[in-house]
Amino acid sequence: MNTGDEHSYNISLYLDNELRDQELEDFRAHLADCADCKSQLEEEQALADLLHRSRPLYRASAELRARVVAAQQVSVSGHTPERLHGRVLRLLKQSRGASEFRAFPWRAVATIAFVFVLGMVFVPTIARHARAASYVDTALSTHRSYLDGKLPLEINSESPEEVTAWFAGKVPFDFRLPTSRLLASDQPAYQQVGARVVNYGDSYAALVSFAMKNDRISLLVASSKSAEAYGGEEIISRGLTFHYQTKAGFNVITWTTHGLTYALVSELHTSASRSCLVCHQNMADKGEFHEP
Amino acid sequence: MSLTPEGSPVVEAAAGIEHIDGLFSYALVLTRNRSEAEDLVQETYVRAIRAMGSLRTGSNVKGWLFTILRNVWFNQLRHRRTAKIVPMDGEENAMDIAETAKDPYAFYVSQVEHQQVREAIQQLPADFREVILLREFEELSYQEIATILDCPAGTVMSRLARARNKLRTSLSTAFKTSNFARKEVME
Repeated sequence: MNTGDEHSYNISLYLDNELRDQELEDFRAHLADCADCKSQLEEEQALADLLHRSRPLYRASAELRARVVAAQQVSVSGHTPERLHGRVLRLLKQSRGASEFRAFPWRAVATIAFVFVLGMVFVPTIARHARAASYVDTALSTHRSYLDGKLPLEINSESPEEVTAWFAGKVPFDFRLPTSRLLASDQPAYQQVGARVVNYGDSYAALVSFAMKNDRISLLVASSKSAEAYGGEEIISRGLTFHYQTKAGFNVITWTTHGLTYALVSELHTSASRSCLVCHQNMADKGEFHEP
Repeated sequence: MSLTPEGSPVVEAAAGIEHIDGLFSYALVLTRNRSEAEDLVQETYVRAIRAMGSLRTGSNVKGWLFTILRNVWFNQLRHRRTAKIVPMDGEENAMDIAETAKDPYAFYVSQVEHQQVREAIQQLPADFREVILLREFEELSYQEIATILDCPAGTVMSRLARARNKLRTSLSTAFKTSNFARKEVME
């Protein structure tokens, strides 16, 4: 491998996070002095950025999600669709004793109607559950990517007003963070760190990050047309239904209000209600969310 | 998808559902057919939940799901002898832009860019499509990709380099459009 090839090789390894320890240090040192490598790295980075903006490459439909959930449940319970289909066919074919049943297959029709009604009741629920699970998963993966440094913030600001203004025109909905009412002497529970736009489905969602010491909290906001709050433990407060769950080592609270769906992700060791302070510390009711 | 301390599966309403977009993308990259891709994803989840007993605690569930999907697809191909390549049917449902987009132009630009990326990737040879999807979209390491593809990590790297070269050429228009449109949106 000649020197040029070696550098191209290292640029790929660097971009793909495959360089470690001394190799990484050596390459960074080389990069600082080599204009050619810097230029090549920028080209490679531009391609990577273009591809990353297109994530996910394709999005599974709500129908497919519902199919997968249903198929898993069927698979676990051992009742395969073939068996159900077979039962219906058997009912349709079996001979009946009563004359009216000979004249018209009432039992079969009733069975099919029952299966149809079951489908009408459960399929929308499964689809709704799948949409909600997808939003929670997006909130979690976004939070983890941010913690891992793979999702840098696009604006760093402690000012809710500045972040609200920054989002204007960048996300396909109106989104306003509560204006700070803290006095200069107040110690905020959480400091707003910044924000960025993230892909969600075919559109965009707003990510706002908060911090206190080592704790990080993410607030993901998307249009309720594409994101659903559903499932988990339901807590109703002041006319809003909050859905609380723990998943993959994090607390997640989701809720929908005024056409927007929110997902608040915090560390498990952090009290979930305390994480509400990211917004409520700017509100008059902030005392309700402090831990005793 | 998770395991209890005893190793038995915890059955959730949608075990492993967080990987469904990635699996569906991988399935579309392999099959280039929406209907086949959906069947492949469903089959992957069904097989995964049946085989969860064999999964050790701490295993790489994501890589495992992608491996299952690939194995199911290649088994299907072997049974068919030849791959049936059907042009991809309609893309995802268009969103009602007028209703939701505050800045329809910015939204439109990103959709055009997204479509160019999809087309450029689908034009790549199958080996290249796979590595690009697994690395750039799923962020798997060289070793994780090598395990899924059952090939050395060096092969993954050389395929990636060639795939990126091809993409850079075919997406040169997208770069220009994107830079131009982003400047316009900023202004």
